Amino acid sequence: MNLQFTQEEQEFQKTIRAWMRENIPEEISRISALGEMPEKSQQQQWEKRLGKQGWLAVTWPEQYGGPGWTATQRYLFDLERAMAGAPPVSPFGVAMVGPVIYTFGSAEQKERWLPGIASGETLWCQGYSEPNAGSDLASLKTRAERKRDHYLVNGQKIWTTQAHWADMMFCLVRTDPDAKKQQGISFLLIDMNTPGIEVRPIYTIDGHHHLNEVYFTDVKVPLDNLVGKEGMGWTIAKFLLTHERTTIAGVADSHYALARMKMAIDEAPYYIDKQQARRRVAELEVELMALEYTNFRTVAATDEGRPFGPESSGLKIKGTELQQKMSQAMVEMGGLMSLVWDSSSAVGNESFNHSPRRYNFLRACTIYGGSNEIQKNVLAKMLLGL
Amino acid sequence: MEFNLSDNTTMVADTARRYLKDHYGFDTYMQQLNQLNHCDPSRWELMRELGWFGLPFPESVGGYGGDLIDVAMIVREAGAVLCLDPYVDLVIGPGKLLEYLGTERALKVLQSIVDDDERVACALYDYHAGYNILKPSLSINGSKLSGRKNFVPDGGCANRVLTTAMLGDELTLVLVPLEGCEVTRYRGLDGSRLADVLFDDVVIDEEMILSRGVKVERAVSKAVAWLQALDCARMYGAASALYQRTLDYAKTRKQFGAPIGSFQVIQHYLVDMFTDLQQLESMLFMVSVKADLDDTLEREHACSATKAYYADKGVKIAQQAIQIHGGIGVTEELDIGHYFRLMTYCSLTHGHGDYHLDRIAALGEECDRG
Repeated sequence: MNLQFTQEEQEFQKTIRAWMRENIPEEISRISALGEMPEKSQQQQWEKRLGKQGWLAVTWPEQYGGPGWTATQRYLFDLERAMAGAPPVSPFGVAMVGPVIYTFGSAEQKERWLPGIASGETLWCQGYSEPNAGSDLASLKTRAERKRDHYLVNGQKIWTTQAHWADMMFCLVRTDPDAKKQQGISFLLIDMNTPGIEVRPIYTIDGHHHLNEVYFTDVKVPLDNLVGKEGMGWTIAKFLLTHERTTIAGVADSHYALARMKMAIDEAPYYIDKQQARRRVAELEVELMALEYTNFRTVAATDEGRPFGPESSGLKIKGTELQQKMSQAMVEMGGLMSLVWDSSSAVGNESFNHSPRRYNFLRACTIYGGSNEIQKNVLAKMLLGL
Repeated sequence: MEFNLSDNTTMVADTARRYLKDHYGFDTYMQQLNQLNHCDPSRWELMRELGWFGLPFPESVGGYGGDLIDVAMIVREAGAVLCLDPYVDLVIGPGKLLEYLGTERALKVLQSIVDDDERVACALYDYHAGYNILKPSLSINGSKLSGRKNFVPDGGCANRVLTTAMLGDELTLVLVPLEGCEVTRYRGLDGSRLADVLFDDVVIDEEMILSRGVKVERAVSKAVAWLQALDCARMYGAASALYQRTLDYAKTRKQFGAPIGSFQVIQHYLVDMFTDLQQLESMLFMVSVKADLDDTLEREHACSATKAYYADKGVKIAQQAIQIHGGIGVTEELDIGHYFRLMTYCSLTHGHGDYHLDRIAALGEECDRG
């Protein structure tokens, strides 16, 4: 039992902290301080800066452009990133399709796609959900019909985050309509500029545009864009669920949110009952600590070569519940100041003015990436043997 | 960071589990519930042979120089089988208090606890002062101690009590023989034996005063930090037993022609118990290291965070275990309800949830000022 970071790890953390301070654009940290998210150009500029440093694809093996860090280093990097007010890296390229390509892809595919992800040049989105395939993902219908030199794709995806930003989509499609549910699914990479793709915005209750519907009408996708073999799509999707989960709990960003919350309370005008607010913060702090130490255990285990398996679904459940609780506390503590939606200047405290946006946005975090109920089904089956 | 138990700690835990398996079952517990003296001579002797009495104390008093986490693993196993033997109350609590006091006389008493079967309990609380261990309501005036201590966990068998009292505005620790005091004993919520002690102008000679002032405050705070960590260890043992029993029950109990564990709502309850248990274990590891730190702020923050978390989630696990068991869960004949009482008891000792949340908030302000 040792709860200290090593001397080297502490040095590493200091280096990262100094670099973050130098390199995060002020505009971005200002946006984060309000609990808001950057525009495409800001996000991409930031990711490219990380890419240039070799710190974008931090979970990847070195041969594909990863920095060769331990899980502990990755955790510290993520913590310093968040505390400095930088947004999390968009997960679709680095955390999702990247590992799929270097695990299941051909040599050509690796060479073609990985560098653009590691540099931040290519933006990706995830084509999974459909109007009638949400939690029951395997009932997806988007059809990819094999022609002589291409797949012909027809169908519709929905809830596609950042589809309007993306250059590429990784997509689950049905290549064999006659096979059993999970077996006819394949994993296809689709260029978002291909004719026949239409992206329509869905505005969410935070007032922003993150989500989209994506329609495919006779979209021609080169055969080379199939990852793995036809029918392997479900296996790949499941692989993604258990890949690298040491940051899934969102500990770093919750630390940042908690620090902002404390600051907002201290700066708040007299009408806030600070005693009461501090007790509420203490409650959240305790929950964050429990999550953090559980996360430390997964990090330490990963570094000892025993990565957590399905247990990490528990981290996702706990982490998202906490994010929601914190954002709700922020709104409630703000009281009247949380009534503001789009004032261009601060009314009382700006952080409280913006708090409903984040609160609204985070209602989705127990839904996306496999709803918490689905995570519980998985845990019940795989760990509890029910 | 590294979260593995050392070989030594693992051995202590394994030994504890084996010992309890051989010598303490639900039957033993049910018998002990009806006994007024909880120091069973034969088990007390076995624990001494296992080296538990000297485990976390310095070699100079006959101890083995073990760590808090070693004791925590024993207490976890004891919690898992509902064991009521007052090992923590009559050995670890008073022992750590005396060790932290560190005076020659204190260490002599500690040595007699380790070696000679001396039964000393800690009398730190009364219902006026509540959780404020640094401001007890009883006082020493003109070398006479008067006032009352409540909730003294003495296993029904202590000969002397380590009692806090105010001498002027100084917190003072006195060692008082129980003979000559008015002692009322009763059963606690968890089945343990508690005592109220009335000190009616008990004459305190210099010999009985172990120390006073800041030294006592510090020793009491540090000893209570251990007790808080051990509360959580006991609760963890109970919580993991509850989880395991409830999971087994869900797999075997049939309703509507199927095991109730096949129903999604029950599955999700059990997953909630599992994920909470996982986080409770993380907090136990954390507090087992940090409750022994010299840094007051970090130590108290860790203890309060863990106690607050356990008061919330540990209790929730016990409530859910009853819910999933249904009617049988609320009966005296099944162990589930007994674990539930243990859990409630431990969520209230050495500060309840709200007390600890307030302390965290206060510590935060102290940090800001510092």
